Amino acid sequence: MITHVESPILEIHDLTVSYDQSPVLWNVDLSLPAGKLIGILGPNGAGKSTLIKAIMGLVPITGGYIKIFDRGLNDVRSRISYVPQRESVDWNFPASVLDVVMMGTYGKLGLFRRPGKKEKKIALDCLEKVGMQSFTDRQISELSGGQQQRVFIARALAQEADLYLMDEPFAGVDMATETAIFQLLQEMTASGKTVIVVHHDIHSAMNYFDWIIMLNLHLVASGPKADVVTEELLRKTYGGKLNLLTKVTDIIRQKDFNPLKN
Amino acid sequence: MTGDAISHAVLPGIVIGFFVSGSQRGLEVIIGAGLLGILTTLIINWLKTKAKVQLDASIGITFTLLFAIGIILINMLAYKVDLDQECVLYGEIAYLPIDLWITDAGFSMGPRITYLAILNLVLVSGFIFLLYKELSITSFDENFGIVIGLPAGAINLALMSMVSYTTVSSFEAVGAILVVALLVVPPATAFLWTKKLTSLIKLTCGLGIFIALAGYYLAYVVDSSIAGMMVAVGGVVFLGSALIKSIRPNLLFGTSAPGKPLEI
Repeated sequence: MITHVESPILEIHDLTVSYDQSPVLWNVDLSLPAGKLIGILGPNGAGKSTLIKAIMGLVPITGGYIKIFDRGLNDVRSRISYVPQRESVDWNFPASVLDVVMMGTYGKLGLFRRPGKKEKKIALDCLEKVGMQSFTDRQISELSGGQQQRVFIARALAQEADLYLMDEPFAGVDMATETAIFQLLQEMTASGKTVIVVHHDIHSAMNYFDWIIMLNLHLVASGPKADVVTEELLRKTYGGKLNLLTKVTDIIRQKDFNPLKN
Repeated sequence: MTGDAISHAVLPGIVIGFFVSGSQRGLEVIIGAGLLGILTTLIINWLKTKAKVQLDASIGITFTLLFAIGIILINMLAYKVDLDQECVLYGEIAYLPIDLWITDAGFSMGPRITYLAILNLVLVSGFIFLLYKELSITSFDENFGIVIGLPAGAINLALMSMVSYTTVSSFEAVGAILVVALLVVPPATAFLWTKKLTSLIKLTCGLGIFIALAGYYLAYVVDSSIAGMMVAVGGVVFLGSALIKSIRPNLLFGTSAPGKPLEI
């Protein structure tokens, strides 16, 4: 069940990625519309992060090609923003929250030029959007996991891009923060940005995403939420994990399910 | 720890440079050592990313191997000349005033090493001043640097070249052990006291100068090895800081008071 779109913002053609000869993504072929909140779902080890990293040029591609805004990656770097997994960096690094968020503006600044008032204002605005304005001067080693995640999202916002790729931005984040960030992402897509999020929780995925990609080494599905969230496709994605699947079936039965109300 | 690795691994480069130039103080020695320094970081990186060896293991393997090759080269080729492991390892600051730079006209310009050190200071400060934001981004989150289009590989290579040049230009004077001590101890001590990058750099410089001066005068007073005394002072300063921090962990500079709870 793969829906292709006209004039896609991101087009992936026959993508294969392997680590040490063993493929972790096989023949992924999809195209994504602009202005949508897009979720990538799949079990652990399904290649979700690898897909994001391949799009960002961080892992070598074995086969196929990726086009963003109908161009190659290097032509459009300033229009793409990336939130890596929180564990990928050393949070003991001597830097303040503001320093890290300012890093988001460096791509547009270019080599040798120093960030000035304008960059600082962008960074402060972005911190306010994620509700971290009272932590501006805090050292990053003194933040909780959820706060670190917000700092990373603020840094991505400071890139002022058109396409956002986020690798598990909700790992280790509490429900209230998750809701707040999802609302922020929905505002962004409403203003024409495209946001692609690697996500674990099927419950909240059902609530917030417009478009869902299901991945398990192969591409299982890519399309509008209403079309792809079916028992059959979820079973194909998650395999024989029956316990989980019964829960999912339950959710599908009560269509108006909302985890925040329960 | 890369500095530690480089300071030992440049030995074969020095020996080879020594043979090309025929003296310990030629430009070839510095170039040879610099190249070896870069080679060291490349090997460490390659072992880590391609051969999937852990970072500490790949550092340990690389620098001990290269250092051993250097020692073998010295023993094979240079046993007759004034270049031995002792001088490479320990150096001797007290001889610096004798090692003068004398111009062709016979005019003495003062200790030769001083000029190397001044050039080093200018290069390193200029490098940090110009590339401050690029350096902080690639050290904190290299992938993010790559993603926003920074030449992260080139910046890393430049940083490593700076470390090798610093190591090479100073260790002829002070020996590998003092170079490592002065590369590692001041920033490690400063990191106990502050978590802010600019204060960290300033405190590191201050501590370095303090350790050098205090070590020198203490050695003068007790009439002992200058390099040894400097390392000892550094060690005492570090241990003292660690001890104070373990008793009073909240004694910090450059950190903020706990903020208000999060509002959504």
